[in-house]
Amino acid sequence: MSIPSSHLLIQTIILGLLVGGVYALMSSGLTLIFGVMRVINVAHGAFLILGAYLTYWLFQLTGLDPILSIVLTAPVLFLIGWGVQRYVLSRLENPEKSSVLVTFALAITMEGLMGTFWKTTMRSVKAEYASEVIKFMTYRIPLTRLIGFGAALLVLLILYLILQHTNLGRAIRATIQNPSAAELVGVNIQVVSAMTFGIGIATAAVGGSLLSMIYSFNASSQTDWITRVLSVIVLGGMGSLPGAFIAAIILGVMEQLTAVTVTLYWSPIVFYLFLFLTLIFRPQGLMGEIVREKA
Amino acid sequence: MKRILFSSRFWLVMVSIVLLAYPIAQHSQYYQHVMIMTMMAAVLSSSWNILGGYAGYTSLGHAAFFGLGGYLVALAHNHYGWHPFVSAWFLAIIVMGVALILGWISLRTQGSAFVVVTIAMVFIFRLVALNLPNITNGARGLTQPRPGWGGVQWSPEFIMVPFHYIMLALLCLTIFVSWRIRQSKFGLGLIAIREDEGKAEAVGINTMLYKVLAFGISAYFMGVAGGIYSYFFTYIDPQFIFNVFTGVTMVLIALLGGRGTLWGPVLGAFIMEPLGNWLVGAFGGTQIHLTIFGGILLGVMLFMPLGILPTITNEIKRRAKVRAVQVQS
Repeated sequence: MSIPSSHLLIQTIILGLLVGGVYALMSSGLTLIFGVMRVINVAHGAFLILGAYLTYWLFQLTGLDPILSIVLTAPVLFLIGWGVQRYVLSRLENPEKSSVLVTFALAITMEGLMGTFWKTTMRSVKAEYASEVIKFMTYRIPLTRLIGFGAALLVLLILYLILQHTNLGRAIRATIQNPSAAELVGVNIQVVSAMTFGIGIATAAVGGSLLSMIYSFNASSQTDWITRVLSVIVLGGMGSLPGAFIAAIILGVMEQLTAVTVTLYWSPIVFYLFLFLTLIFRPQGLMGEIVREKA
Repeated sequence: MKRILFSSRFWLVMVSIVLLAYPIAQHSQYYQHVMIMTMMAAVLSSSWNILGGYAGYTSLGHAAFFGLGGYLVALAHNHYGWHPFVSAWFLAIIVMGVALILGWISLRTQGSAFVVVTIAMVFIFRLVALNLPNITNGARGLTQPRPGWGGVQWSPEFIMVPFHYIMLALLCLTIFVSWRIRQSKFGLGLIAIREDEGKAEAVGINTMLYKVLAFGISAYFMGVAGGIYSYFFTYIDPQFIFNVFTGVTMVLIALLGGRGTLWGPVLGAFIMEPLGNWLVGAFGGTQIHLTIFGGILLGVMLFMPLGILPTITNEIKRRAKVRAVQVQS
């Protein structure tokens, strides 16, 4: 344990904020999916890694910029997500009870496939600007983190606009508030669920592309990432997008602070402890409703 | 003859004879090893079943207690020279104590939230084991001396035999306890919690006490098994022993055989564990066995949610009913 200087402290908080923005994007899809169909998609981490691998693959084969590759990877993952909801999850008799196990099974299935196809070497996308650093006053900010933060905010804004100003968005919000009432006024829950799952997984594709430029990863990193995004949505309140955003920023900053004051090795415990303690002592999170009595 | 073939006592005796004679009749080290791992899987899955099957609380985090047992036994062996075959049974009581506390905290959640809490539990245990190198030797893991008794090391030809019988003893104890629980008022209470926790509470069952006890009892057997396992392999490390995949395997085995039945987890273990061993052998270095495990789990959840045993017994009951109707008319 060491007390950092105020300069280091501010530098750490800036980095935490930037990371938090990326976490917010990664968890937005997960919380949206939970809000609409009360399904905790444990395969979200695997979809993030799949997005990261697709980006890596495109970059290695064609040199496509990781940010630009989102245009290709997001639609692909949208279709996969749509199909998973349409053909797998919708068959479950009691999705609220069994969805965790089913999506967990999906996660290890995907981990095995990705591990077989892309091997276990840790990968990351090294674009030509990967090591550039921007100096802001006396603080140093890695360019990739700044780009990641900007892209995350942009996608979150698009998501917000879809939710507020399109018919699909209105249907999604109506389903989150009250599924049976939404069905009564003519919302097709099946279609909305499949679309939401697709959109949720598409945001994971974007998150995965950002992940691939900031972190190194392999197939088994998915367990690490699923706990991070799960802690974010649990702390924020399951199903709440603004909650997820605030929680992501809090956890991002806390993680960086732990890395500086204790050691890098202990920093993941921030996520595990927040996850554990929130579910037990404040199950509704910061801005959500009580999950434990619904589950 | 037909009556004998269908009596469960006959099968129990047959299986016991086979398991008792196995290491004498089967000299291949590989198959002896597979049998020990299969019986261990049956122990883990049966004890998971006490909470996950009877009470309906799906824990993916029981690997935490397996690993804790492994570490306690390895540490006691290395520092105090306690023989794991003896100490595992006692040190697992500590594991049970830890589980009672963690259960008391985590069983406030239900359903999906409980599953997520138990996943987090494994990661916390792993992180602690990784980051306390003075005690656990960190990521490098702990080694133990080669197995033996009273200063004499067991020869490579003999080494599987004592492990076979101690694992068999543990398996018998686990099944016996699971059977006694199933027969008792305690077991009925757990099943009532699974069916409708609110109503169970309303008819006067202390649901929290029942759930926490089930959690502790299932953790006890995890601890013993983990202790014997750590001695069997003489090496454990945090990445391997505190693994969510271990927890998923127990759940898959119980779901496949029949969740909430006495023999389902045992049947599941005798199917999945040899299959898993074969898969790892056949596909060696790749991770395709993960995919196959995940695929089987998906298939069971989607197409046979009750598991093998209940599906079969339901079918037999249905046919008996059809026959009875035919006889009447």
